[in-house]
Amino acid sequence: MTSHFQYGVSLYSYTDDFGTVMDLEDAFYHVSETGSTGIEILGETHLPAYPQLETAWLDRWFGLLDKYRLEPTNFASWIDTDIQRRRDMTVEEGARQLTTDLELASRLGFKFVRPKFGVIDEELTPHPIWEGCVERVLDLAAKLDIIIIPEIHSPTPIRHPVVEGYIDFIQRTGTKHFGLLIDTGIFQDRPLPFWQHETPEMRDGAMSFLNGIKVPVEQLAEVIEYTPFIQAKFHHIDEELHDHNIPWEKVIPALKSLGYSGYLSSEYEGKRDPWVAIEQVRRQHALIRKLEREWEQANPSKPKEQRDA
Amino acid sequence: MLEHTPIQSSGFSNIGPDEDRTGFCLRIRQPNYRGLRMSLVEGIKVVVDEIEYPAATNLYRLGERTYTFDELDAETQARWPVGTAIEVLVDKPGGLDVGVHLVEIEVLLRHPYFPPQFRPAPVHDRRHITIIR
Repeated sequence: MTSHFQYGVSLYSYTDDFGTVMDLEDAFYHVSETGSTGIEILGETHLPAYPQLETAWLDRWFGLLDKYRLEPTNFASWIDTDIQRRRDMTVEEGARQLTTDLELASRLGFKFVRPKFGVIDEELTPHPIWEGCVERVLDLAAKLDIIIIPEIHSPTPIRHPVVEGYIDFIQRTGTKHFGLLIDTGIFQDRPLPFWQHETPEMRDGAMSFLNGIKVPVEQLAEVIEYTPFIQAKFHHIDEELHDHNIPWEKVIPALKSLGYSGYLSSEYEGKRDPWVAIEQVRRQHALIRKLEREWEQANPSKPKEQRDA
Repeated sequence: MLEHTPIQSSGFSNIGPDEDRTGFCLRIRQPNYRGLRMSLVEGIKVVVDEIEYPAATNLYRLGERTYTFDELDAETQARWPVGTAIEVLVDKPGGLDVGVHLVEIEVLLRHPYFPPQFRPAPVHDRRHITIIR
């Protein structure tokens, strides 16, 4: 039997609605209404007393998971290496931050923690403390059974020293508690609209990645064994279920062919007018489910007996 | 819950006794998608009717605590959470006139995961809001 994708939504999708026109239960409702089974949150966004966890909030969290039949997927964490204007974080501080987030994630029932390390250049090379920080918490991650997954995010492509560094780390330590999170923004092949204050000069220069870095989907094969989680980044899907930036008609068959059966966790990053995100996420789920169904119909799996023979 | 724009109209008010206003208060919703340590907030510039009140001379009240511009950098633990407003306290003897004002802000946020040349990154907002008394 073919394994299916798991569908989820990151509450990042509802940025600016959350806290103005949407509370936590509204968010749960909208996620569950997409037919998702998984919910992704951001520690510093969705825990009101972060890094504290109030008992009443914890009770509410588990109540909502139960009521809306959702499971926690990925917990987003930040390692703010550039912590003060004239001082960088030490390895010890970074490891403490990761420890805090692993423990919070575990108490809330998450299986993945996405650390976002500060960077030192335009290609998003993580601050060199990343390796020491992660190495110090690997035992804890193993004990809590959580996988730490830094994201591969535009403008960093798959074939890049950042990715090689992470894979070297996995091979050197032999850990099963560190992997890659692929953000589908790396496959973007058409430009995004200009952001507030962006000029054509900026777009031609440092912001050119917003035109799309167009990573070939075939390169997923090179990292899929290290990739237990995918953030389904997108920006705009129109009334014809046509995505204006991300080539899902290539991404989905590539993932299906590779046998990926982990989460696709929606990350809407587009217009922030109230309630737009709710409908955009629904369109993405309709589109991806349609493409998955079409691929499965075109590639019927062999009965189990035949496979084993 | 808060107004959708970063600039909040409710809370826009003069400070000090009626006959001796010392300045005004402006509430700003956390405009970023995650709550930030105060040390990542490099101040908020306020412009009212084209008169500029620089980030370095404003005060920032978050809950019970009030920070000067320099104290923001030292606060590496307390965070300005999403879904909450910070109060910017602006020194202006006499306060602002009652009525509608054009208010503009520039919030400077340092995102460590942005390339160095984009740190800090500005967030702008602009809105007509009203002083009632």
